[in-house]
Amino acid sequence: MGVAISIQDLSFTHAETTRPALQHINGEVEEGTFVVIMGHEGAGKSTLCYSLNALVPRFFRGEYAGQVVVHNVEVARARVAEMSRRVGLVLQDFEAQLFSTSVELEVAFGPENLCLSRDEIERRIDHYLRFVGLAEMRRREPASLSGGQKQRLAIASVLALEPPIVVMDEPTSDLDPVGREEVFSVSDLLRQERRTLVVVDQDPDTAVDADQVWLMREGEMVAQGPPRQVLTDLALLESCGVQPPPTVALFQALGWPGQPLTVEEAIALIRQHNLAQPRPLQSPAALTNGRPVILELRDVDYIYPTRAVEALSGVNLQIREGEFLALVGQNGSGKTTLAKHLNGLLKPTRGEVLFRGRPLQEIRRTEMARHVGYVFQNPDHQIFSNTVREEVGFSLRVAGMDARTIEERVAEALAVVGLSGYEDEVPFTLTKGERQRVAVASVLAAQPQVIILDEPTTGLDYRHQRSMMEMLRDLHRRGHTVIIITHSMWVAAEYAERAVVMKDGRVLLDAPTRVAFAQEPILAEASLRPPPLLRLGNWLGTSGLTLEAMVEELR
Amino acid sequence: MNIFLYLDENTWFHRLDPRMKIIGVLLLFGLIMVFNHPLYMAAVALGLLVLGAAAKALPNFWRMRYILALLVVFSTVLWPFFAKGPTPLWSWGRLEVSRESLMYAVAMGLRLASFVAAGLIFLSTTTNEEFTHGLIRLGLPYPVAFAFSTALRLVPTFAGAGATIVQAQISRGLDVESGNIFQRAGKFIPLGVPLFIYAVRHTNMLAMALESKGFNPGEPRTWYLNPQMRRADYLALAFLTVLFLAALFLRLQGYGQVLPRL
Repeated sequence: MGVAISIQDLSFTHAETTRPALQHINGEVEEGTFVVIMGHEGAGKSTLCYSLNALVPRFFRGEYAGQVVVHNVEVARARVAEMSRRVGLVLQDFEAQLFSTSVELEVAFGPENLCLSRDEIERRIDHYLRFVGLAEMRRREPASLSGGQKQRLAIASVLALEPPIVVMDEPTSDLDPVGREEVFSVSDLLRQERRTLVVVDQDPDTAVDADQVWLMREGEMVAQGPPRQVLTDLALLESCGVQPPPTVALFQALGWPGQPLTVEEAIALIRQHNLAQPRPLQSPAALTNGRPVILELRDVDYIYPTRAVEALSGVNLQIREGEFLALVGQNGSGKTTLAKHLNGLLKPTRGEVLFRGRPLQEIRRTEMARHVGYVFQNPDHQIFSNTVREEVGFSLRVAGMDARTIEERVAEALAVVGLSGYEDEVPFTLTKGERQRVAVASVLAAQPQVIILDEPTTGLDYRHQRSMMEMLRDLHRRGHTVIIITHSMWVAAEYAERAVVMKDGRVLLDAPTRVAFAQEPILAEASLRPPPLLRLGNWLGTSGLTLEAMVEELR
Repeated sequence: MNIFLYLDENTWFHRLDPRMKIIGVLLLFGLIMVFNHPLYMAAVALGLLVLGAAAKALPNFWRMRYILALLVVFSTVLWPFFAKGPTPLWSWGRLEVSRESLMYAVAMGLRLASFVAAGLIFLSTTTNEEFTHGLIRLGLPYPVAFAFSTALRLVPTFAGAGATIVQAQISRGLDVESGNIFQRAGKFIPLGVPLFIYAVRHTNMLAMALESKGFNPGEPRTWYLNPQMRRADYLALAFLTVLFLAALFLRLQGYGQVLPRL
């Protein structure tokens, strides 16, 4: 079999920066194989992807050294449009890639650029829409599709150019679990077709099936090899900001034989070596912290004025002061709609919302902002100031506080999120993880009792996810009520005390986290699955939620 | 929110060639300009209503009902003061209303509503791409047409981001509902800056995606959309041309006019 991609001593420094984005990268990809690239934010993963289809150095200018050869074409000498026949690139932000008013025209765009005949374009639209499972959606407007469908459409629109190599830059990081499944089933099909597949992904689960895993750190390639070799070096993975496979971590911590990459492997090993006896799960007592109820939803229905669909129906929920609660469920299940009722951004169509027993209609929005802070998913939707200080102090200035109090509160909020000393930095130049923290600090500065965060870990690498969640745990310990909306099951499992599972605008399950994650059939109804560690925990009957707790129990 | 008016139906009107539709709607605009007698205008408006029903565009008429009603009402109330006719009905100082000016006003109301109706029928039956493709076939250079259609396409995307930004800043205590116009203008910064940066990032990403799919505006390309001028198109075009010329002829003969002006 031939070589599809060959990278020799590739270095690249973006124009107007000094730190190299890529340093002396070498690598070879055989035709028809599957490579997963992992690494922390800013490790150079995307830049490496762009160097495969000439976006580096054609679109992104800078200092380029070394050579990338794709099917005997030297990439740096080719134009992006020429490379598009050889390398299909699916970008991370699928929203930004779709621009047509119908699904079929989106797919037609690439083949039109290749000057193909109308019959051939027709054939490709037909074939690739069927391939990604969107044949029924042909006449739909892309904006009306779900996240997973949009990403599959983005993939189809690239496949329509019929490139032998497909590169996907974090294709699932903005998707809910169902969307992830949809995209992975497409990439499985691509592998069956023996196309060369290069995927950037944070999740060790994806890497398990790869032929090669490439691990990057600070623009350098630190490891290349089969998953069983790379994914079992826990110290190396941690140093690259990558989440180690939890089952491997568990076995290593307990000194058990074997390096299981999946839950199924782990169970087989435990049986084979008789490492532990499965036992019935001890359910922890129902949790009531005895503190007063701070927010309450009574029989809340909500119908969006523009769509006639019921986004919430008959929701009852009591949240007590000092709770740490996770709202989980698919996109469109009503999580965000529910959360927006808690600070009065949305008013219920029927039913009522109470804050400390007072109906929300009686409280001004600006006052609610001081009681209930809400951090939106994308920090870039709110950052507008020239300095971190101004940004964080915004809500205080609006409330008309004096300069000294503002200064104090800003310093305090920045200390909590771990950004002390960043006061004079320009927020736009910070990393995504830091911008996310600035957004949290700007909400914290108002000292709200309740803080709601929509997808606080989406788009962050493992290291930043951990530190974001540790920070929230710290806030929780200080007595704040913390409510997170999340797709990340391990985040919900490790940090939240209580999980509320939503489906079709209703609360499907509301229980202490460990109890909720033991109900695999009910979770499956909401298309959710416990994280790997808890799937193993459910089988073993352990009650711990974290790696440490499970190790303690099983030792 | 959907700002596009296109309704995905399959009527004979939808199937017409976009070139024909563009020329056709211009002819309709011409026809609407011909008469200023309310009865004649009513006939034109009724014709457009029938056309709208045939093109299954009535849901959009319903969606725009307030705008249509406002146009008719305002124009009927205001026009009489600006057009002078020979048969005075009522006067107060320099203001005077005549029988003819009143009729003219009703005709103008119908004319404005007809304009909107003709536009609505066009937009209800023509997608963004068909429209730009029609323009290209009529001689507009591809890069210009592409920029035009992409700009149209991005409006709802940016509107969606804008709505999220407003909510995010309200959650931080920004009060967008009170204050005078100058105070409100100051509040534009926390909304405008994130939107601007979002737009820059978004367009940059889009440019990368387009290039990665082999886009090159200067080079030849083929089209998936391939509208053909068929017999129905030529017939429709001929019919509208004859209708327009006949109307023009009538008007020049003095029919369909209450006042000797446009």
